[in-house]
Amino acid sequence: MSVWLAFALGGLATYATRVVPLVVTLRGSLSPSLRRYLDALPVAVIAALAGAGVAMPDGRPTGGAEIVAGAAALALARWRKNLLLAVIGGVIVAATARGVGL
Amino acid sequence: MPPARAAIAEGWPVLLTSVVVGITYGVVARQSGLSVVEASGSSLLVFAGAAQFAAVGLLREGAGTLEVAASVLLINLRHLLMAASLRPHFARASFVERLGLGYILTDEAFAMGIGHFRRGHGDLVYYATFGTLLWLCWNIGTLAGAIFGAGLEHPERYGIDFAITATFLAIVAVGVRHRTDLVVAVAAGIVAGALRLVGATTLAVVVAGAVAPIVVLLARDEPSDTAESPFRTR
Repeated sequence: MSVWLAFALGGLATYATRVVPLVVTLRGSLSPSLRRYLDALPVAVIAALAGAGVAMPDGRPTGGAEIVAGAAALALARWRKNLLLAVIGGVIVAATARGVGL
Repeated sequence: MPPARAAIAEGWPVLLTSVVVGITYGVVARQSGLSVVEASGSSLLVFAGAAQFAAVGLLREGAGTLEVAASVLLINLRHLLMAASLRPHFARASFVERLGLGYILTDEAFAMGIGHFRRGHGDLVYYATFGTLLWLCWNIGTLAGAIFGAGLEHPERYGIDFAITATFLAIVAVGVRHRTDLVVAVAAGIVAGALRLVGATTLAVVVAGAVAPIVVLLARDEPSDTAESPFRTR
């Protein structure tokens, strides 16, 4: 049930960010600082989640496999700009690195 | 070319990508313990790739409802800027039409739509066609991934549990546009990882991410007055 509540609230919040500026006349404009903050926010939040996932996969400190696999995913994504390729590559490297005992 | 056909002709690579990423999401959602209905429901309700990956990652770690919803909101706050940029182009749309046009506003629809408007077109058909097709592709992809993605046992043996983290890393790698983004991403990633290692909660991790962009307020060398999306994969 809490899963549905989380998605309902998340969905509602998301919809609000998309539709409020379209239907409500907002006076004035955002300050440049706030614009820059909002602009940088998504990359920062997702990078934080990525950092946590690399450091503590499944609740245990990494043995190094996730660092190697993370570097591979980053490099693949940067190289081909392809999310799926990067995810598949990262998963394969993670499995291989764990297989050799990292 | 009529705008609807142009939207398909120019947008099909993006649409195809969204099916593939949608399948990835469906698989990851199932591996994180969601049912097929929950996985598909999340794509219908939220319809925002990066935020949905974050949400299932947090749910998997046992995060609370409000933490998940707050993270989704933080990741999607950028839509405020995009919607504000599109508003003048939607001037002729009715209130109800705007409710619909807002629902299909994604990074990709924004990028395609604003490009169309900047080329001098005034119609809404192009944006509406592309946005609706993207919605279809994302939801079909999610459903397919969720149906076929649950057959794997012991996902950690195959590294599947790493898929969410790999997705985040890939989103960041593609999303970093300039040095400020890079500094913010590295700072957020390292601080969050360190917090996690010393036992911090998921909320602390998300807060680390939300605080990191303050770095950009201190850096003055890079203008970012456009609402251009950081999340475009091609």
